[in-house]
Amino acid sequence: MDRRNFLKLCSSMAVASMLDTGVIGRALASQGGDFKKYEKALLVKEDGTPLKVEDIKPHTTYIFFYPFVSTPAFLLNLDKEVGPVDLELSDGSKYKWPGGVGPKKSLVAYSAICSHQLSYPTKDYSFIDYYSPENPSKTTKRSGVIQCCAHLSIFDPSQGGKVLDGPAEFPISTVVLSYEEGKLYAVGTLGVEVYQDFFDVYKRDLRKQYGSSRKAKKKSKECKVIEVSKYAKESIKC
Amino acid sequence: MQRKVSSVNRRQFLLGSGGLAVASVSASSFPVVAKPVSKSSLMPSPKGNRVVIVGGGWGGITAAKYVKKDNPNAEVILIEKNHMFISCPMSNHFLFGLLDYESLCYPYNTLRVKHDVKVINDRVLDIDLRSKKVVLPEGFIEWDYLILSLGIEYDIDDKPFYKDSLEFFPPGFTPGSEHLYLKRFIEEFEGKDIVLTVPKMPYRCPPAPYERAAMLLSYIRSEGLKAHLYFIDANPNPPVLKDGFLEAYKDFYKSEADYLTSTQVKDIDVAKKVVKTDKGDIKFDFASIIPPMRAPKLLERIGLLKRGQKWVKVNPLTFESEVKNVFVIGDSASTYLPKSGYAAHSEAKVVAKIVAGRIANRKIKGRIIQHGICYAMVNLKAAMMLEIEFIYDANLKKVKPVKREDNTWKVSTAKRYYEWAKGVWRDMFN
Repeated sequence: MDRRNFLKLCSSMAVASMLDTGVIGRALASQGGDFKKYEKALLVKEDGTPLKVEDIKPHTTYIFFYPFVSTPAFLLNLDKEVGPVDLELSDGSKYKWPGGVGPKKSLVAYSAICSHQLSYPTKDYSFIDYYSPENPSKTTKRSGVIQCCAHLSIFDPSQGGKVLDGPAEFPISTVVLSYEEGKLYAVGTLGVEVYQDFFDVYKRDLRKQYGSSRKAKKKSKECKVIEVSKYAKESIKC
Repeated sequence: MQRKVSSVNRRQFLLGSGGLAVASVSASSFPVVAKPVSKSSLMPSPKGNRVVIVGGGWGGITAAKYVKKDNPNAEVILIEKNHMFISCPMSNHFLFGLLDYESLCYPYNTLRVKHDVKVINDRVLDIDLRSKKVVLPEGFIEWDYLILSLGIEYDIDDKPFYKDSLEFFPPGFTPGSEHLYLKRFIEEFEGKDIVLTVPKMPYRCPPAPYERAAMLLSYIRSEGLKAHLYFIDANPNPPVLKDGFLEAYKDFYKSEADYLTSTQVKDIDVAKKVVKTDKGDIKFDFASIIPPMRAPKLLERIGLLKRGQKWVKVNPLTFESEVKNVFVIGDSASTYLPKSGYAAHSEAKVVAKIVAGRIANRKIKGRIIQHGICYAMVNLKAAMMLEIEFIYDANLKKVKPVKREDNTWKVSTAKRYYEWAKGVWRDMFN
């Protein structure tokens, strides 16, 4: 797809996102990408009221659970417009990341499960986190990145979760957001999902936390958004 | 009569030709001692897609899973003598009570059930590089691609005193009973003087002996023991995480330890409990003697390791040996990465890509990463971290090395350490 057509698609998607999430899905799916539609889930604050754009502080890591009630995702306000990006996987396949949403197109969301070896934020620890421009990583000196401290995989949230460094072989998957009349919705995912692996390897943990694997696999219908620093007892940065 | 090996010049060896294809000699020109393989075939002849992997440790398991993942049409066979995987990484945690033994043990069944890998638990008696056969007690298996991930052996033939010490004072550098035995010694210890020795580099897992010394000293304090450690190091300094370890021995544990650098073990009297070094004799009550290490002698017998060599020479980008489609990964090979379980795991992913690609007749594009990250405890609570990475750009044909050390002692790094291990085990056994 040439740049002209690509821009046309993105701008039509931006308009579409104001109207109908089904349009987003169809637009993404029509590119042969990996968009997967899930339940349309409203993002809400801890008190249950709809999350507004102005509630999302720039460069602060928020967590919510989508597309399943047990699968964590990060919500970030990158405080700048982030445009669409072409992503290529190691097998040569490609997909288009549509960029940020919201009035400034600065809001992005990603799976918080590391695509390398599935580290994710628990209530006790978060080994994977976003590093703001004010607080770069002491180990890698990078900022504006999502970094996993277990094996130092580094992802770029302004470029569709692209792998910048470390052993991860593919980007963290995107949680596709839709901004409609001042409200934010999660509508699906884009990229390589690791949810089945997540359910397989954390079966025992999920059973403990949710009562059963089946319950952990329930689809999210509404997503409570919390700051990671409030969700995890310890955010382990590196 | 042996035949001469074709020469491979350095440039070809380092860069390969076109993508990652290394200029290898064919198996027919390789010097294998001629010996007929009389046993019968255990499997039908391969059809061009059979990958036989010998050794079910961190490297072999990863290679088996990822060859199959990268190319589901591959027929993958893993041969491992043990029925259960036991991790050597994290075994110091076990020795000092930070991890249960069961945390180190995993079955091979996920490879069979989820990834359709045929796992054969048996001994390898021989490998015939010319006829491409791995010989087991009941018969042989032919390969199209062979990946050897055999780990290490203790290099003790020319120093018989190490043989005695192995029985009395286990090194704990091969997984299993050595660790169980060593842990019992540590828990039962009531004496005064302890000796821990480190061989010259290279050996398996460079920070491990230094970590063990630091954890032992921390354990001595926490148990209120009146013990003293003589830490005898054949190297001039810790080869990795030097600043953090030296701070531990020279400042933090100064009164409880003597750190003797560049000191060679000359003899060990196991009956009198004396280590003789080039700087004097040290009497001890308990010791953990870590002997020098080498690639297993099987590799010498089959011709991949020349007489006098301790590690197999491979293309450091592809891990292919001088025999085409025969790869050696992990501790047995001489590579860019230090010898460690994680390095073997990372190298296995590279080899899996190459082998899966060759079966499918496709070239590798983009970046190939050899990644080494390891952690080391400095006491029973805090750890340090080291990362080494070699990024090969297959398009530009360039290697970019990255090295990062964090010598600061942190409790949070110790938590990352455990997550590091759990992550790799998740990957290997899922």
